[in-house]
Order: sequence, then C-alpha cells, then structure tokens
Amino acid sequence: MKPLSRPVFAGVLALCAFAAGPAFAAKDVVFAVASTFTTTDPYDANDTLSQAMAKSFYEGLFGFDKDMKMVPVLAESYSASPDGLVYTIKLKRGIKFHDGTDFKADAVKANLDRVTNPENKLKRYGLYNNNIAKTEVVDDYTARITLKTAFSPFINQLAHPSTVMISPTALQKYGNKDIAFHPVGTGPFKFVEWKQTDYLKVAKNENYWRKGYPKVDTITWKPVVDNNSRAALMQTGEAHFTFPLPYELAEVLKGKPDLEVVAAPSIVLRYLSMNTQQKPFDNPKVRQAIAYAINKDALAKVAFNGYAEAAQGVVPQGVEYSIKIGAWPNDLAKAKQLMSEAGYPNGFETELWSAYNHSTAQKVTQFLQQQLQQIGIRTKITLLEAGQRVEKVESWPDPKTAPVRLYYVGWSTSTGEADWAIRPLLGGESWPPKLFNTAYYKSDKVDADIRNAQLTTSSGEKAKLYEDAQKTIWQDAPWAPLVVEKLLSAHNKKLSGVYVIPDASFNFTEVDLK
Amino acid sequence: MLQYIAKRLAGLVPTLIIVAIMVFMFLHLLPGDPARLAAGMDATPETVELVRKDLGLDRPLHEQFARYVTGVLRGDFGRSLRTKRPVSQEIGERFAPTFWLTVASMTWSVVFGLIIGMLSAVWRNRWPDRLGMTLAVSGISFPAFALGMVLMQIFSVQLGWLPTVGADSARHYVLPSITLGAAVAAIMARFTRSSFVDILGDDYIRTARAKGLSERIVVMKHGLRNALIPVVTMMGLQFGFLLGGSIVVEVVFNWPGLGRLLVDAVDMRDYPVIQALVLLFSLEFILINLIVDVLYGLINPVIRYR
Repeated sequence: MKPLSRPVFAGVLALCAFAAGPAFAAKDVVFAVASTFTTTDPYDANDTLSQAMAKSFYEGLFGFDKDMKMVPVLAESYSASPDGLVYTIKLKRGIKFHDGTDFKADAVKANLDRVTNPENKLKRYGLYNNNIAKTEVVDDYTARITLKTAFSPFINQLAHPSTVMISPTALQKYGNKDIAFHPVGTGPFKFVEWKQTDYLKVAKNENYWRKGYPKVDTITWKPVVDNNSRAALMQTGEAHFTFPLPYELAEVLKGKPDLEVVAAPSIVLRYLSMNTQQKPFDNPKVRQAIAYAINKDALAKVAFNGYAEAAQGVVPQGVEYSIKIGAWPNDLAKAKQLMSEAGYPNGFETELWSAYNHSTAQKVTQFLQQQLQQIGIRTKITLLEAGQRVEKVESWPDPKTAPVRLYYVGWSTSTGEADWAIRPLLGGESWPPKLFNTAYYKSDKVDADIRNAQLTTSSGEKAKLYEDAQKTIWQDAPWAPLVVEKLLSAHNKKLSGVYVIPDASFNFTEVDLK
Repeated sequence: MLQYIAKRLAGLVPTLIIVAIMVFMFLHLLPGDPARLAAGMDATPETVELVRKDLGLDRPLHEQFARYVTGVLRGDFGRSLRTKRPVSQEIGERFAPTFWLTVASMTWSVVFGLIIGMLSAVWRNRWPDRLGMTLAVSGISFPAFALGMVLMQIFSVQLGWLPTVGADSARHYVLPSITLGAAVAAIMARFTRSSFVDILGDDYIRTARAKGLSERIVVMKHGLRNALIPVVTMMGLQFGFLLGGSIVVEVVFNWPGLGRLLVDAVDMRDYPVIQALVLLFSLEFILINLIVDVLYGLINPVIRYR
C-alpha cells in the first residue's frame, strides 16, 4: 500500500472534521418503551403510552407540565359561566397544522363533534359524551362549549392527553378511521412513519409555533417488550431514554457512568379494596383491622425495592384537591382488638385477588397474605390474568353475587383532579360493571360531596367538599391504602429535558441531545 | 408421486375447516370480554357497548361464525381488534422475519446436530461421545431466555460486536438464531446418535464391513442414509414448531415475528388474529409433514407412494 500524499491526506482529514462537525450532526433521539402502540389517535386509545407518544405530533387546548400542573397550550384563556354550563375558550393565533391549515375554532368543533358522535365509535366516546352538549364557533379564535350538566373538572378533561386538536382538513381527507395512520396535528414533530413491528418515527416541525423548539431533529419511538433487553439497549447507547425501568435493573444501570436513573413521584396509588357488601367485610372494624395489620413501609421495601412510599391518604399527593392524612398506622395490637370486637377473635378465611399477574403483584400479595395471617385472616391468593379480571371483577353483572373479596389493584388519575380519583372508585353509582368501585362502597355523604363538587365553580368550595369526602372514606376504610409508586426511568447523560410525569405519561417539549 | 401429493393437498381442506371451527368455538369460551379489554380501564358502559358494536361482537355467535367463514373463503381474515389493521397485513409483515430466523437456526442446528450425533455414535462411549452428549444435554436444559440474555450481555453490551435487538440486517440474525437453534441442535444430536447406534449394529453394516469397505464409506453411505429417516421426521417437527415463532426468543430480541404477535393477540383477546394464526400454524404443519413424507422417498427409494 502506498502512503497517501500529504495534500490528499489533509483533505480527507478536513472532510472527516466537516462530517463530524457539531453544526451538521443530526440530533436523532431514540426512546425505548415497554409495549407496542395501539393507535396514534388519542381519541381511540386507552393506554397511557400511545397517548404519550401522540404528544409528539398532537397538542391539546390545555395540557400538563412536568409536575402535572395544568397549563394552557393551544388555548389562550377560558371563562366559565356562573352556572358552570358554558365554557368560552379563546385560542392562540398564528398556529398552523402540519398540513398548512390554520388552527381556528372550527378545529375545536370538528374534534369535539367527532368524539361525541356515537357513529364514530371511538374509545373515548364516554368521557366526552357524558358532559358535552354542543360545541360552537363564536368567531375564528373563540369556541364555546355547552355542557349537559355542570361539571367543574371540565377544563382538566380538556387537558387530558386524549383531548387533542387534529387538523380538520386531514380528518376530512383521511376519514374517521384512517386518520390513525396519517396523524396531522400542531405539535413540535411531524409524523414520518410507523412500522408497527419495529418503531414509530417523527421529525422536527420547522414551523412550530413555539420559537426555538424542538431542539432535536427526530425522535424514534421503539417498543421493546423485554425489560432486560431495554436495559441492554441503554447500555449500548442504542437508546437514549427508557421507561418503565424495573426495580431490579435500577441498581445495575445506576453503576454505568453515562446513564442516569431517575425515580419520579407519581399519582399511581396501590390499594387493597374490600367488598363491603359481603360478610365479614361489611363490618368497618374488620376493614380497619386489616388496614392496621399491614406494614406499608415494609411492603414498599419488600415488593417495590424501596421505590414506593406509604400512601398518605385516599387520593395521592399531586392530584388536585387531595389532602394529606398521613399513612395508616401499623398497629397489630389494635388490629387484634378490632377483630375481637367485630366477633372474629380467631380470624376467618377469604380470597385475595390481584388485578395483575406480574412479579411485583406476586410479591405484594404474598406479603399481604403473611401480614394478614398475624391477625388470623387466612387468604387464598389468585393473580388474575387480564381476561379473568374483566370477567370476574370489572364486568360482573350482579353486585349481590360478586365473588371479589380482598382485591389488590391500582389507579392513576389521568385528569389530575380529585373527581376522577374518587368518583369511579368509590362513588355509589360506580359499582361494577359500570365503573371500578370494587369495594362496592356506598356512602350518601361521599356521593353528595362528589355531586356538589361537580356543580360548583368555586375552587374553595370544591376543596372543602373533597376534603370531607376523603376524610369520610378514610374513616370508613373500604380500602386499605397501601403505597404510592415511584416511576423509574433511565436516560443517557447526553439527553436532557425528558420527564416522566406523575400519571406515567411523558413530557418531552424540552428534549435536547448534547 | 404427483398424484400422491395432489391427494394429500386435497385432504388439507377438511382438516383446515375442522381446525377453523374448533378454534372459533374455543376462543369464544375463553374468559374475558374483548370489548371491555379494548375499551380499557377508564371506559364507561356506553363506551364498551360502542366498542362492541365497532368490533362486530354484538351479533349472535352463529352470525359471527358465518361472517368469519365467508370472509376467509374470500381471503379476508377480518381486521385486528387491537390495531384495526387487516389481519393479513399484520401477519404478512411478521411472517418473513420469523421464517428467515427459523431457516437460519434450522440450518446451523441441523448441520451441527448431525455432525455431533454421528461422531458420538461412531465413537460411542468414548470421549467424543461424552463431550457431544454433554453439549447436547446442556443445550436442552439451558432455558432459551437465559441463553439469549447471556449472549446479548456478552456480545452486544460487553464486546459491542453485535446489535442487541431488531431484525434489520444479517448481523441481527446471529444471536437469535444461536439462541433458538441451541435446543434444536441438541435434540438433533441425540436423535442422530441413537438412530445411528441402532443401525451400526444391523446385519447389512456388518456385511458392508465384511466386504472390506472403508469405515468412512460404511458410515457415510450405508449408515447415514438409513439413519436419516427418523432424523428427518424430527427435523420436520422442529421446523414446524419454530415457524410458529418462538415467544421467548422473539421477546428477548424484540424480533418482529409471529410469536410476539400471538402473545399480544391472546392478551387482548384479539379473536381474528388468533384464529388466522392458528389456521396458519396448522397449514404449516400439514405442509411440512407432506414435505417430510416426500423426502422419505428421496432418501430411501424402497419407500413407494400410492
């Protein structure tokens, strides 16, 4: 081989330097996530992940920041009529959809009309049709939404990641179903391609209305099902961010110099519900005894590797109008005394079901079984598979014969507001098969609080009503509140601006790569 | 011969019809309401009803079955309940990666298995046999997910030689095919060995040796041919299993194949996808059996078809 002549060599060097120059390096970010996306249409999605991904190209009128505070996004401001029935929303000006259509009030109407029309058979139909009576265009930048009955958390519902603005032109062009394969929004990234088996890719929207954003060129969303494989991807640098990260792997990745593991606070509450319509759980003393018997701190350590905290109330901190009551004390003597008073000094036998069959749920139920044994309650554990859960718990037709007794389950309040944290889980009208009151709890006081809070528009009034409801529930103990989880994610130190927000969705408007 | 193949192919039809009916019946006996599962955690009862209508699950069972059968006859397998894309498209995209992975793993594992099996049989109870069978037993006993993870940890994370997940290039095939083929190679080795050991004791082998043929010709020509018959049967079976998509390997290596699709489909009670997959798997098995039968004839001309 002949050595390269000097000028050629210098030229090659210069070329290399040019190619590697920071100004020309494309910033391509890869997110490794845990499951495949079901759709890109947030109105037809029921999983947090698909909705989080859709935030790449879609934005709503309102949204949540990284601490789950509600902020206006495409809306400028709003006002509610005194009776809480009519919401007038002013829109930001000068925003364009990716297809060049101007964002105006007709988009708001088109999107809300679409989801409230039963013909379109969208999965989020129920959420909107319950309360929206009609949507009108007042002028180009003002929309008016009229509700069927007053519903004070309505703006929170508009901030929910499913309420996004899809280009009305694109909706017309692709139709109700095909829009899922051709998403057109106002967001920071444009849709590029979706290879269902492999990845979904989005690229920078050059005309994004927030100047200076986005700071990266592309994002590739890569579903990788296996936890260990996702961790491997992070270690090789093939992915920059991953969520969720299982507890066991946190320790492994923590030791790597170029990775950072983050444990973020969440509003994911884990609890043990007890069927209050059935003996012996109809007796509040038995329910309280169970709550006293469980050591929540130990549970957090044993089953969650310390990445959880004892629940401080009925509604997790971070949800609007939640109150902090303090963890339910772990007091065995008191638990035994309550059991005797209730007439079960020697305990009883019962069923303990889990809504999940993953390994964490297995640890949790085994721990609960051992704790309850201390007060004489002997439990038979069953970890329900998704189909069984639906059949035996969520869609059981007759409350009188419901086979559920002790039930380990969790809830994340996707609207960030107390109504959706209490009503579906503890409202008297939310017994399965309607919603998820698996304790079959019914308290006239709580029901009245929920109803009145929906009707009032005064935030002070609402706070008072929800406080009363939470305290009443705490005393009645239809649940033994267990823990609030922490959300573990890992990212490459070169990546910044990606946050897991408390409802397990992502915020990545600030995403940047060094 | 051609007549035989045509007859076998005609026999396919009733088998597939029976499979289709059974699968349809069993699926609807599974616990869990697909509409409820699809509608998700927060859904209200009205939403679940809407979803049920959307998925066509509100009609009586016999009507659903009739619709399904007429659809299949026209080549239309319906749409996935989960993604709403045509089932044929869902399966079509995933068939090739699984097929090529199967071919890659089968190729190396058959070659490897045959060689180890033969060596072990020829040097029975001596060190090559001991070594070979130790390898084989390890191959069978080592669980695929553990093997996959260990390989990935060593060759992707530590050494950085091979990519971790995906199916984009030839290099992506190396680790998954080793993981998938390990058990098959082990089974093939044990099968070849035992079949060989039997045959090496037969009279005609003794005759061949007495004729003064070299040991190599005895083993390769007289032994191998006859020993292959049971081995080919086993090969066909293994090929069929692998074509179904290995769930474990596909999950570990994030392989875009049929195994993962099946898991997702069962989780969400995605009836149309499960039905089409089971039909496909049955068809594959029937075809492979046919190919195996034809191979018998090529290996041993004494076998005749009528």
